[in-house]
Amino acid sequence: MFDQRIIQAYKQAPWRVQLQWIGALLLVLVVGMLIAGVYLYLSAEATAAGTHIRELELEREDLQIRIADLSTQLAFLRSASFMQGRAETLGYKNASQGDIVYIPVPGYSGRQVIFLAPPPGNDPVDASIIKPAYKESLWEWLYQGTFDLIESRGVKP
Amino acid sequence: MNSTNSRLRFIGVIFLIVGLAIIFQIVRVQNSPQAKEMISYLEKTYNQEVRVIKPERGNIYDRWGNLLAGNTEVYEVGIAPPQVINSDTVAQDLSSILGLDFSEIKKIARSYIEEGNEQYMVVADFVPADKVHLLENKLAEYEKADKPKKGAAPSLNGVHWVAHLRRSYPENTLAANILGFYNYYDRVDGRGILGLEEQYNNLLAGTATRVVLPMNPTAIQEIPSVPPGSSLILTIDRGIQAAAERIAQKAQEDSGAESATILVMDPETGEMLAMATTPAFNPNEYQKYGEIFPQGSHYNRAISQLYEPGSVFKVLTMAAALDSGAVTPETTFVDTGAIEVGGLWIYNWDRGAWGPQDMTGCMQHSLNVCLAWTATEMGPTTFYNYIQTFGLGKYTGIDLAGEQVYPLSLPGDQNWYPINLGTNAFGQGVAATPVQMITAIAAVANDGKMMAPHVVKAYIQDGHQYDISPRLIRQVIKPETAHALTEMLANSLENEASVALVEGYRVSGKTGTAEIPGPGGYESSVTNASFVGWGPSDDPKFIVYIWLEKPTSSPWGSVVAAPVFSEVVSELTVLMKLPPDSVRQQMAQP
Repeated sequence: MFDQRIIQAYKQAPWRVQLQWIGALLLVLVVGMLIAGVYLYLSAEATAAGTHIRELELEREDLQIRIADLSTQLAFLRSASFMQGRAETLGYKNASQGDIVYIPVPGYSGRQVIFLAPPPGNDPVDASIIKPAYKESLWEWLYQGTFDLIESRGVKP
Repeated sequence: MNSTNSRLRFIGVIFLIVGLAIIFQIVRVQNSPQAKEMISYLEKTYNQEVRVIKPERGNIYDRWGNLLAGNTEVYEVGIAPPQVINSDTVAQDLSSILGLDFSEIKKIARSYIEEGNEQYMVVADFVPADKVHLLENKLAEYEKADKPKKGAAPSLNGVHWVAHLRRSYPENTLAANILGFYNYYDRVDGRGILGLEEQYNNLLAGTATRVVLPMNPTAIQEIPSVPPGSSLILTIDRGIQAAAERIAQKAQEDSGAESATILVMDPETGEMLAMATTPAFNPNEYQKYGEIFPQGSHYNRAISQLYEPGSVFKVLTMAAALDSGAVTPETTFVDTGAIEVGGLWIYNWDRGAWGPQDMTGCMQHSLNVCLAWTATEMGPTTFYNYIQTFGLGKYTGIDLAGEQVYPLSLPGDQNWYPINLGTNAFGQGVAATPVQMITAIAAVANDGKMMAPHVVKAYIQDGHQYDISPRLIRQVIKPETAHALTEMLANSLENEASVALVEGYRVSGKTGTAEIPGPGGYESSVTNASFVGWGPSDDPKFIVYIWLEKPTSSPWGSVVAAPVFSEVVSELTVLMKLPPDSVRQQMAQP
């Protein structure tokens, strides 16, 4: 009888137990929803970024075509026959030997052949457009972060 | 109560078993080989895109960076029939803007409704950008327009246009014989044809790359940046090339020749500064090739048309005679007007006897008899050794597709006769291309050093410019021989007051008139008229080779080709900024 009284004294009221259960379930539900929300948000962001990257890549291709086209159009406008025609329209004529006065310029070695690109050896840094942060997993990020931290403190792993 | 509980437990167990069985079956089906195969197929079909990225074809520039061959934007226009909303608008706009057949386009546009055709169909290609801009304007107009109350709204839905590049030559006909052309209408197997486009096709084309791109936007993958094909920087000077082409065209018209060829080279490096040939050809309209170059004609006569050069060849004979010691400039030859070589008689061009002549006189009057005599003085072994050393009968190796060569007949060959020694000495019975001749004679203008002729000065690959160094083929004659011959040929032009002379500049040169062999022997009525000259004589910076094929105004090189040389050099000195000799010598003094 005494034992039963002690048990009864420490026993939760049934409505409290139910409330605890409901609370626990709600907590699980809220946490689950939070995780799902974060997951959905990140997925949506990643999808938007991926789509944007694809659009930018297509735009880059279009721009490359446009640049090539504009260079060629410019070359048409600067072609020998076109320039000759323009010069004649403006009243110019081809110079003959008698029209030219030569003046010695010390150190001048004449017109140099065009350099349209640097000579070999000056390698530009190979920069990827998409940064690694956009492609690495959580585990890779943690591992790399830890490794960088150890490296910066000079501790051998 | 117990009975109810046990029933409920039993039902629960049954549901559990059924549930587990369903889960087991789901896992089993999803991991079955068939499922894996199907997933793989679907992934390949819908989850990824396989693209072959064709790099932009490399550009071609002249030595100063002027674009000679580039690429221009054009469009492929197609119809996706299932997406078409208003077939009338599609047919109307495509026919009015692109000039396509209205009924044909309408049939394609309605093919999904009428036949269930889902296939995308290309209706036009190589459409210029300005026409596509008109389509874009129409599209924008329809999007802004209010929808009609009755019937389908005007719409270009289902019409697609995709940009791509097309080979383009901004200078049109300029240097077309050097560039060759690219058959851009063949988008699958297009390749460079003739000239540089063929010679450097692989370099210009670059390497096509096949990439697999995921369609899932969350699986980000960078499209690899495919480097464009290599670009070429030529030794050609656009200004000199334009002048040479203009003069060649005029010379052909004035002389009534079948064709005109002008080559300009830097003898110190072997760099071709200009290579002009007629007829003119626009590689932007390469489909007209057959009209301009009927079968049997040559695209670039400078490298592919062999001809008997005639007296310009005497420069090589005299170089060999002087270098071998068979004669000196002062050696006197008494010209009787005829000489017997190999049992046959050789005469001068005028059948005259010119009496005592030194070697300068022999060159000045272009005496066949004298030159045949110098060849006999050398003997066939020495003569042909020199001629071979000058590269006759061999490819020069110029970096252009289509170079031709005619084998040199040598003593011991079936088609060599003793008379050949005499006739070869003045450039008959031997065939060469203009580029072979200029390469060989340039050695005389370059201290006896023969340089490899070339038109590519540098190329750009993966963002770097690689220069191509001039290549010495060999030392053909001694420097003092080269200087002596240059002096002799300068004097000979001055002595005869040649029309090849250029005011203010001392030049060396030689005319050439060659009869043309036909089926029945040499035809005296038609000739090949040539001139080769270089200058300034004390420090040559250029060598010019002129060839007029079958001129009708006069058969003589001294009449039709020599003035062309003078005209070319007059423009060349301005374009190359070469001061007159007096100014140059004055400037050189400290």
